[in-house]
Amino acid sequence: MAKSDAESLRALYEQTSAKLYGICLRMLRDEAEAQDVLQEVYVTVWRRAGSFDEARASGITWLATIARNRAIDRLRSRRMTTDDLNAALEVPDDSPTSLDVLEQAEDADRLRRCLEQLEERARTMIRKAFFDGATYPQLAEQEGVPLPTMKSWVRRGLLRLRGCLEQ
Amino acid sequence: MTEGRSPPEPVTTAAEHALGVLTGEELRDARRRAQSDQQFAEEVARWRGKFAPLYSEIEAVDPPGAVWGNIEAETTRHMPANDNAAALHRQIRIWKSAVGALSVIAASLVVMLVVEPRPDLAPRQPPSQAVVAPMVALLGGNGSTKVVASWDPAARQLVLAVAGDMPTNPDRSKELWVIPPNGKPHSLGTLPERKEMHMRLADTLATLLAQGATIAISVEPRGGSPTGAPTGPVVASGPLTRA
Repeated sequence: MAKSDAESLRALYEQTSAKLYGICLRMLRDEAEAQDVLQEVYVTVWRRAGSFDEARASGITWLATIARNRAIDRLRSRRMTTDDLNAALEVPDDSPTSLDVLEQAEDADRLRRCLEQLEERARTMIRKAFFDGATYPQLAEQEGVPLPTMKSWVRRGLLRLRGCLEQ
Repeated sequence: MTEGRSPPEPVTTAAEHALGVLTGEELRDARRRAQSDQQFAEEVARWRGKFAPLYSEIEAVDPPGAVWGNIEAETTRHMPANDNAAALHRQIRIWKSAVGALSVIAASLVVMLVVEPRPDLAPRQPPSQAVVAPMVALLGGNGSTKVVASWDPAARQLVLAVAGDMPTNPDRSKELWVIPPNGKPHSLGTLPERKEMHMRLADTLATLLAQGATIAISVEPRGGSPTGAPTGPVVASGPLTRA
């Protein structure tokens, strides 16, 4: 690694690592695992051709998304159902690529307003999924409802959310 | 996992995939589709963007210094290119070996830990000045062994196993330190609330783990010492010696 590259990586790390660590901690609730994932994010970004420049260009959202996806992978491997494991192994992770850099993040106020318009249970489930990495089967179990019911709550919520955001 | 209703429209699947709620067959399909169907991939990306403002609700926490050391070591080292699937395979292998190790720990704690190198790390060169023989530290506090640390200099791997009662307080973190003879403590990071952990150390830290160094665990504010030096009580410590 050339010296200037090392400095760039260090600078990126200094600007973004606290936020990403916060995300990893929130999702994994385990410091050692959060540190592992944090490390993985920067090493991955570094190694993947071209993605380091994109990270610098596109800033925190893109890195945050990678961190969250990695944390979700970690949560899944922790639960380790054979089905999930096989799914993870067969198809490579589809963390955001250059394309996603073009997508601008949604306006925060609008998202909040639109989430508020959802039925409470849909909003709660969507937030749980986002912040805790909870999957459909987990949400269904936590709420004590059949899986199809949970799916239809969340799907309806997501469709309404989209409708609201597109207005 | 099957439902007696029509499949959801792709736009919902994209949202579900971005949110991360899918499992099993549905997850597999979504991942495949994101690879092969450009429109679907873009939809997933748009949803990720829609959810992005939620990140602002998550509080930033400074990671302990050891994380940067590891990143620096990983990115400096010339390693063969790894695709993500290979990386995940490796993680799973480590996870499995950790679980395997746990079940035998009670029987033969020290031996088990010392002879359990990670296979993918084996060919690496040891740091220049480190002793190559594995080392062990029994970290005691209040007259009993609390944690067993084993150090494999060749793989730069430190394995910790909790062997006694450790204080638990969700508002505090336990931080691991190496203290060279006549030297200042260097942080090796905070410890999780679990029975066993592996860490790989950067060269700069690895060279500190030599004969005569002390390994210690202190109680610190959540996230680790704010000053870079231990600020709270030491709950366990012990000298590093040849295994």
